[in-house]
Amino acid sequence: MTPFDPVALPGSNNPDMTDHVSGIALRANAFGWWRIATVLPAALTSGLIGSILYLFFAGVGIWGIDWPVAWGFAIINYVWWIAIASGGTFISALFFLTRSEWRNSINRIAESMTLFGAACAGIYPILHLGRPWFFYWLFPYPNTMDLWPQFRSPLLWDFFAILTYVTSSVMFWYLGLLPDLATLRDRAPTRGKQVVYGVMALGFRGTSSQWRHYRVLYGVLAAIMAPLVCSVHSIVGLDFAGAATVGWHSTMYPPFFIFGAFLSGFATVLLLIIPMRRLLRLERYITGRHLDVMGRLLLTSSLFVGYAYIMDAFNTYYGGEKAEITMFQEKLFGYYAGIYWATVLFNVLLPQLLWFAAIRLNELVVALVSIGVIVGMWCERFTIVVVSLHRPRLPSAYGLYHATIWDWLTMLGTVGFFVFGILLVVRLIPVISMFEMREILAPRRP
Amino acid sequence: MKTLVASFASEARLVKALPGLRPLGVVETYTPQALEDDRSSILPLVVLVAGLVGAVCGFGMQVYANMIGYPIDIGGRPEFSWPAFVPIAFEIGVLSAVLAGFVGFLVVNRLPRLYDPVDEASLMRGATRDRWCVSIRTEELDRAHTLLRELAADNVEELPA
Repeated sequence: MTPFDPVALPGSNNPDMTDHVSGIALRANAFGWWRIATVLPAALTSGLIGSILYLFFAGVGIWGIDWPVAWGFAIINYVWWIAIASGGTFISALFFLTRSEWRNSINRIAESMTLFGAACAGIYPILHLGRPWFFYWLFPYPNTMDLWPQFRSPLLWDFFAILTYVTSSVMFWYLGLLPDLATLRDRAPTRGKQVVYGVMALGFRGTSSQWRHYRVLYGVLAAIMAPLVCSVHSIVGLDFAGAATVGWHSTMYPPFFIFGAFLSGFATVLLLIIPMRRLLRLERYITGRHLDVMGRLLLTSSLFVGYAYIMDAFNTYYGGEKAEITMFQEKLFGYYAGIYWATVLFNVLLPQLLWFAAIRLNELVVALVSIGVIVGMWCERFTIVVVSLHRPRLPSAYGLYHATIWDWLTMLGTVGFFVFGILLVVRLIPVISMFEMREILAPRRP
Repeated sequence: MKTLVASFASEARLVKALPGLRPLGVVETYTPQALEDDRSSILPLVVLVAGLVGAVCGFGMQVYANMIGYPIDIGGRPEFSWPAFVPIAFEIGVLSAVLAGFVGFLVVNRLPRLYDPVDEASLMRGATRDRWCVSIRTEELDRAHTLLRELAADNVEELPA
């Protein structure tokens, strides 16, 4: 494996690729490792459902939130997940626009990651509402009270942003899937699979008119998705920056959050493609080139994030506001200091290993760095939410926050749900976008 | 009227054969990849118009809500605080654009169409893998067969009437 590998190893060709990739989805029986791998995520997902039901029964008091830290795990995890989700859209839309060929073999898994990441993220704000059964009050629907939502609040912007993002991601994912579903329909070994994939393919047959509109539309949607994902994450940043809260009220937040989205998204994609290429024998289509490019992107976004941390410190001390400095000192040396330094270690220092080409190609180290970054990004969200809130302006309002078992169960539950979703994707749909791979592969067997 | 389905081994052969086949009748291609096609698509326009209409309506809704539907004086701040209305207008615009693009794709292609008579041809199974297929609806069956042989079609299949 070298950084100069082609995007598909020599000798790769379209019929072999199509047979191999569609064969994975059309297998009569699941892989042994797949059955084992689903057990824990399924259990965690059940835990998620259980803890949500208990939350509906008992209310948000079962969580660790209280004054002054009224935003706890729900918001931390929400921001963490939506950042992971955004990374997938960057890869599939942004690098489609730059015509990067390496994207073709990993965009399906990146988009699937977006889908399930956004689903995990979307759960949290609703749970966090306190009275989740009133979530539809966020919609501007005609009501007998003659009331409207508060359109000037970033929290409502966020509702619209997430709604748009989830819907558009599903559409983009599904549109990108249509030609491959048609391939599965035509290669289905059983009548049942033929019917299911046939219905899902909506009758895509690759006619001249279908392809013509398809190509144009896919390009247009990619051009819309790329700015959309930036807007979504900026608005998430504004959820914080819009409030005059110590530590949050900063113009830096929207780009800062986008940097974090890049970082955690790329790390998660790496963490998914490294085992996938081995377990599904995709080494031919996910090569050293992909690992190298993703490693470089991870390193670059880590430098962006490091810059943001430095500016965060600089602005605080240069700004000279007492409450801000108190909070920041607390962040560096206080009760939660360990989490702040873990953030710096995992997000800024650890990825510096990726300067070395040999490390970028070492799958084990890259996977560990990626896990480190994902944990580090969670710590960053924890610092932003909890540390800022626990030192408000009035010393009499200082307080601490500790998560409860229900916080942890809900969080691990969404992790399980995410992994479960990805495993379902691996089992049921082509993990590589076959029709896009055809553009870069030899058309016939040599 | 009979329908023939023929498959070619490469894109180049199919593209070369098409001009000769077209005079025979109704010709449609089924290919694993997009063919070069100079004709334009209406979808970008649909997406643009839907996006703009969505954004304007979204903006209008917020203006209506804050100025007419439920005006409220908060410390003398302006009711028409348009910068605060931009994000939601943008998001609604994007949502309408994407939905219009997807629905528009289905409409212009008359999808979903789960069954089509050409599906009866077993050659069609290869059209989503590596075969470049063409269907010809024609009265001149014999001429079509001869022509397809001359144009080096791999296989030819006649649909049951």
